[in-house]
Amino acid sequence: MSSHPSRRDLFRLAGAAAAVPILSSCAGAPATQATAPGTFTVYWNAGHDYQAYRTVIAEFEQANRVKVNLQKYQWPDLRTRLLADFAAGTVPDLVEEPGGWVQEFAVSGNARSLQDFVDRDGQAMGFPSDWQPVTVERNSYQGKVYGVQLHLTCNTLFYNKGMLAAAGVEPPTTWEEFLDAARKLTKDGVYGVALNQDFTYMWPWLVQAGVTPYDLQTKAVMEPRADAVAALQFQADLVHKHKVAPVPTAGTDYSGPQKLFSAKRAAMILTGPWDLDPIRKTSPDIELGVAPPLKNRTAATQAAGVSMFVPAKAARPELSWDFIKRVTTLQVEQAATKETGMLMPRKSWAELPEVQSDPITKVFADALPTAQDSSQQVRLTGQLGKWEEQLKVMYQQVLIQNQPAAEAMESFVKAAEGFLK
Amino acid sequence: MRRGLLYALLGLASLITVVPLLYMLSLSLQTEAETLSADAVLVPASPQWGNYAELFRRAPFGDFIVNSLVVAGAITLAHLVFDPLVGYVFAKFRFPLRNTLFVALLATLMVPFFVRMIPLYVLMANVGWLNTYQGLITPFLMDAFGIFLMRQFIQPIPDDLISAARIDGASELRIYRSVILPQTRPALAVLGLFTFVFQWNEFLWPLVATSTPEMRTIPVGLTLFNQEYFTLWHLTAAGSVILFVPTAVLFVLTQRYFVRGIALTGLK
Amino acid sequence: MRRLLRPGTLQGRYARTAYLFLLPAILFFAAFFYLPIGNVVATGFRTGPMADQWTGLGNYTQALADPAVRHSFLVTAGFSVIVVIGSIVLGLALALAIDQPLKGRVVFRVVLLVPYLTSVAIVGLLWRNILDPELGVLNRVLLALGLPAQQWLNTAPLLTIAAVTLWQSVGYTMVLFLAGLQGIPETYHEAAKIDGADAWRRFWRITLPLLAPTTLFVSVMAVISGLQAFGQAYIITGGGPGDATDLSVFHIFNVAFRTRDFGYSSAQSVLLLIVIVAFTLVQLRAGRRSEVTY
Repeated sequence: MSSHPSRRDLFRLAGAAAAVPILSSCAGAPATQATAPGTFTVYWNAGHDYQAYRTVIAEFEQANRVKVNLQKYQWPDLRTRLLADFAAGTVPDLVEEPGGWVQEFAVSGNARSLQDFVDRDGQAMGFPSDWQPVTVERNSYQGKVYGVQLHLTCNTLFYNKGMLAAAGVEPPTTWEEFLDAARKLTKDGVYGVALNQDFTYMWPWLVQAGVTPYDLQTKAVMEPRADAVAALQFQADLVHKHKVAPVPTAGTDYSGPQKLFSAKRAAMILTGPWDLDPIRKTSPDIELGVAPPLKNRTAATQAAGVSMFVPAKAARPELSWDFIKRVTTLQVEQAATKETGMLMPRKSWAELPEVQSDPITKVFADALPTAQDSSQQVRLTGQLGKWEEQLKVMYQQVLIQNQPAAEAMESFVKAAEGFLK
Repeated sequence: MRRGLLYALLGLASLITVVPLLYMLSLSLQTEAETLSADAVLVPASPQWGNYAELFRRAPFGDFIVNSLVVAGAITLAHLVFDPLVGYVFAKFRFPLRNTLFVALLATLMVPFFVRMIPLYVLMANVGWLNTYQGLITPFLMDAFGIFLMRQFIQPIPDDLISAARIDGASELRIYRSVILPQTRPALAVLGLFTFVFQWNEFLWPLVATSTPEMRTIPVGLTLFNQEYFTLWHLTAAGSVILFVPTAVLFVLTQRYFVRGIALTGLK
Repeated sequence: MRRLLRPGTLQGRYARTAYLFLLPAILFFAAFFYLPIGNVVATGFRTGPMADQWTGLGNYTQALADPAVRHSFLVTAGFSVIVVIGSIVLGLALALAIDQPLKGRVVFRVVLLVPYLTSVAIVGLLWRNILDPELGVLNRVLLALGLPAQQWLNTAPLLTIAAVTLWQSVGYTMVLFLAGLQGIPETYHEAAKIDGADAWRRFWRITLPLLAPTTLFVSVMAVISGLQAFGQAYIITGGGPGDATDLSVFHIFNVAFRTRDFGYSSAQSVLLLIVIVAFTLVQLRAGRRSEVTY
């Protein structure tokens, strides 16, 4: 390829410069693909390039006579790229997203409804009947499906079996038992538990306390309020009052607790399957125990995991749908779990013998039906960005800076009621 | 005694500067387990030179290096052509609206790049230059920093030199080429280094303007070595060391000119 | 003005030459800077995820009343004060030290500028790793030396990211000052020495005034880059703890790419642009007044 623009290129550049549209007015711009027509472009997370999916891609390429261009990004970078594409109309054929973007982009008109395909093929592929209900709900908008869940994960309790046995502690099942265990486990430079600096890790506590983060009908924020405050304060007390957890360090990643756990500096952490691989890799000598989510008012946890959607301007939605169908079959889920231990959204996946017989995967599989999506109601208002920004501030002020939970919650609710009304 | 104090001060400053970078080198030679161990490892048990090979095995890292060199190199050359010429005009010519244009030029430094990135992306998409070298290079052919820098360098050159050349009947372009440019050679080394370093490390534009792995530059390519929720430290550090080497070599080669170059100006 | 462009006169010819030379630059900046910036200004009057609904001055009134915006401006101001003063004082001190006839000063010169050659992202990741209170290498060293462990990212986050910024950029400032020092003719110092002025007085009376143009250049650039600091929050702290390091440009980035409110982010960038231009004009004016010619 020549890096010297031809004169014609320069004229085109001048013409385009003179006509550069405002973000909005390019809505009518042609849906040009970023790459050649024989190419099928997929945006994917850099951490999800599994061999199981590579196999599917090869089959897909063969069947449809296209070349798949798998563009791998970190989530924030993928989002930056995608928003630029939405503005320019140069969208990819398929996007993997970290949870929540499907509804956001359905609301903004950037995601294509898949309902026509679901009506046609749903029966045969088992969608939505074979998917955990929460995964269908969080990918729908105004009664239509806009995305299909690829992985379904949730938070639960990881513990170091050796440390618990040495301290004579059983894996805790309730908050009280948890605090008690953490106290007994804290000694000699080892913390009973390590909490995450990222605010999303507070959701399991809040849903276990029976809190509804936001109710679209009544517009109530964080009710019952007293329980929400108590749940937040309980976490901060682990750090500041009982001193059974280190102060989390504000930052940009989620790996703090996992590192402490791997380093045998924390006996318990609350996390999801994404930390299994790093723990096994970095400290194979740790005997890892996984227990169900804790119980307070209810036994519940936070649903997480990625989905796929098709941009509204994608040129070949038929092909995109074919890709979705191929990558979500039970066989592929099975292969991906075998390869990486990842958890999957199909109900029939949870019934698989290898899932049921694996002590760790089974705990997750049993917890998945209790998993809730805590931001869903807010996403549908289109105000998720502000909501999360405020949540982060509240969470860190309480957990890191030891501000009383009641105070921080009050300013959060006030701010939230302001932009949600 | 005063000399001893100076050495102590400079030695301490250099230590604070260089130790973290040595730690990066150390990280790049550790095993994945060592990078994550409870007590941070300072010196790897056995240096993992294979980490560097791993980079090339896991991604088209050779392509990343070539792309980075082509893009940063071409942009640097363009700056060396355009910035001194424009700087010369602002330093030595009197013309209407000169000060207004100069302030307008400086103002372009005051808008963060990502703010104008999306309009720029739309423009490039309309021209069809996404995922091409010209798309990566063209938006950065010159900038206000380089022009400002060159203006500062050229201003102290005596006007008499220019007048004399004019009286000899030299054309304006010739005056620029054979009177001004030779005087600014050290300055050009400075400009070249700064531009190259900046472009070599640029992240956002290559992130959005490339659409295939083979077109990525090193900083964008490095993001491939992060998993969804954690960083592969040994590989990221190895990539960072590779990223660092060319700028360091360029600096060592140019640093002689560098100080003399700036000294020439007086920065009036 | 008309006279300057009149054909036939010498000035007119030079002015036309000037514009001829400027033509490529004018076209380039129009296409890649002013057009996109004009676009940003226009977007500032719109709202919605696709920035397609007219809202007039709505974004501006909202921004001026938004406590988060005000807070981020204050955070940025604090950060910039530390970084601007720090880089001038430290850079000048190091330049004065290295300007002495010392053996091996080339080595110091190279070593001190080296962090500037690395990207902000890598510097950020590196320091994040070093400073981690539980697992970072710094606390391991501190404890080995019998010193108390630090938690600076939680206890003094803004100061910490400012220090990391200084760590990276002070060598660059030093080199500029060093160059400025080379430009001061030795004769002034000699004359002052004969008059019996001590080193301290010579610094205040000769070195500093003659360095004024360099100081101006350094401080203008430091203010511009300080007010636009971004990577430090994006890579190291994520704006936290709480909103303690929510730098303006980081805040604007989040409004644009996380919240996806390009209208609001555009309006905030225009406000920031106004602030930076105002600062720069004040600096340039003050700098011009303080310039001394001997």
